[in-house]
Amino acid sequence: MWDIVGSADTLRARTFVAAIALLSVALVVQVSIVARLGLPGGRLDLVLVLLAAISLIEGPLVGAVSGFVVGVLADLASSHVLGQSALVMCLVGYAVGLVMDATERSVAVPLAAIAGACMAGTLGYAATTSIFGEAALTGGEAVVRALAAGIYAVLLTPFLFPLLAAGSRRLSGRPRRGGR
Amino acid sequence: MGRDTRRSRLVIVALLIVAFTLITLDYKTGRSASGARGVVHSVLGGVEDGVTAVTRPIGRTASSLAHPNRYHDRADRLAQENAGLRRQLADNAEIGRMSKQLGDLRLIADKGQYSIVPAKVIAVGDVSGTDWTVTINAGRDDGVDVDKTVLNADGLVGTVSSATAHTAVVRLACDPGSRVGARLERTQLLGAVAGGQGPSALTFTLYDASYRVQKGDRLVTFGSMDYVAGVPIGVVTKVTDVGGLSRTAEVKPYVSVGTLDLVGVVVGRPAADPGDRLLAPQPVPTQPAPTQPAAPGTATPGTATPGTATPGTATPGTATPGTTTSGTIGAGQGGTG
Repeated sequence: MWDIVGSADTLRARTFVAAIALLSVALVVQVSIVARLGLPGGRLDLVLVLLAAISLIEGPLVGAVSGFVVGVLADLASSHVLGQSALVMCLVGYAVGLVMDATERSVAVPLAAIAGACMAGTLGYAATTSIFGEAALTGGEAVVRALAAGIYAVLLTPFLFPLLAAGSRRLSGRPRRGGR
Repeated sequence: MGRDTRRSRLVIVALLIVAFTLITLDYKTGRSASGARGVVHSVLGGVEDGVTAVTRPIGRTASSLAHPNRYHDRADRLAQENAGLRRQLADNAEIGRMSKQLGDLRLIADKGQYSIVPAKVIAVGDVSGTDWTVTINAGRDDGVDVDKTVLNADGLVGTVSSATAHTAVVRLACDPGSRVGARLERTQLLGAVAGGQGPSALTFTLYDASYRVQKGDRLVTFGSMDYVAGVPIGVVTKVTDVGGLSRTAEVKPYVSVGTLDLVGVVVGRPAADPGDRLLAPQPVPTQPAPTQPAAPGTATPGTATPGTATPGTATPGTATPGTTTSGTIGAGQGGTG
């Protein structure tokens, strides 16, 4: 935490607040609306899609911290071991953030990164649940669910990602993706 | 590589250490609902209730947007009136659906003489999708308390695992940690139904190995301190283990998790065990096993699967040649084979 306070100039607090607020809203939307849709094959994981997109735009630090904070919040709201989804979301945010500079190369990079993050996150949830609690899913089910989450993420990303990128540009007040 | 690689590495290591510390602490000290959890549950529950209340009539709002108010001429007025009537029809359909659900719930509660508190499902599972729970919009103020039985018109849903003032979390019967005492229909034979097989399958273990569980046997709750007796659980679809000291069977629950909407929390137990009253009547009691579960009028999604089963798919050693064993109740007793 000391590094965050020490380098407030580069790590705009506004970005963190916006990311965490957005993800908290997604948390409620996920359980109250998306989970009730009964999508075939599995579920759309709105929180993971948003987290991956945010990390891709803002980098590994924002991704890891906001993933961790929202993960702890999600754990408090659930009935499983505290810290379980915080661990998964923190790692997902960090790992996706590492490829942020590759997003300008091709349109396929964000798609692949976000879909991969959703699949890895879903498998991570299943794995941590089976390690720390009772296994809620069998291995096959977890794989099917991960694939479905990936497919839904691919469908959703073209709509969400440009929106988030524009929002981030507006938040920072300058064209961020220009000269790097 | 992104900027600040060294710093972000430091941060992620710190966060991982914190995450593991949290996991260790929570795992070691047990998962009692601490203060923070209660606060988050009640805050999120309120928000979820609001979100559900807003999104439910969303179709109505959309239709009212599609028909804006303009009184300029007669055609417009008629169109507006038309739209209003259409909205009313849609409202009536929704109200009718709700009242049918309430009526069905009332009926099953009356059959078992349970006192119930009706509630609506306002959130399903958690964010990671690994919790088999639902959140309902009734809490301690409505008389809901931890360990109360939750049912809907089809049968057993689960038990209340935690409750705040206005919301409660229900652990579904298909949760891996859930175990329910079950009784075979028309017998006093005991067993336990456990989850962990996904949303549409439960595992039934019969403690008496001498009794032959058969495909099509139906289960109700046995009743204990926490559970009320007589709530329908499901129907046996497959006998998986016939050796050893107990018998294991796969059970298709009557309740489908995906379509949960209106549920009832049993807050008052009946004076006497309702027995098998809550199960839908079977057409002919001496029918061979394959047609047995297709009870008309149950109107549960569960009736589809047993009906499609052919006698050839039954596990050997249970009753494969014995589709003619009409006496499913007592005939199997003593066959310790």
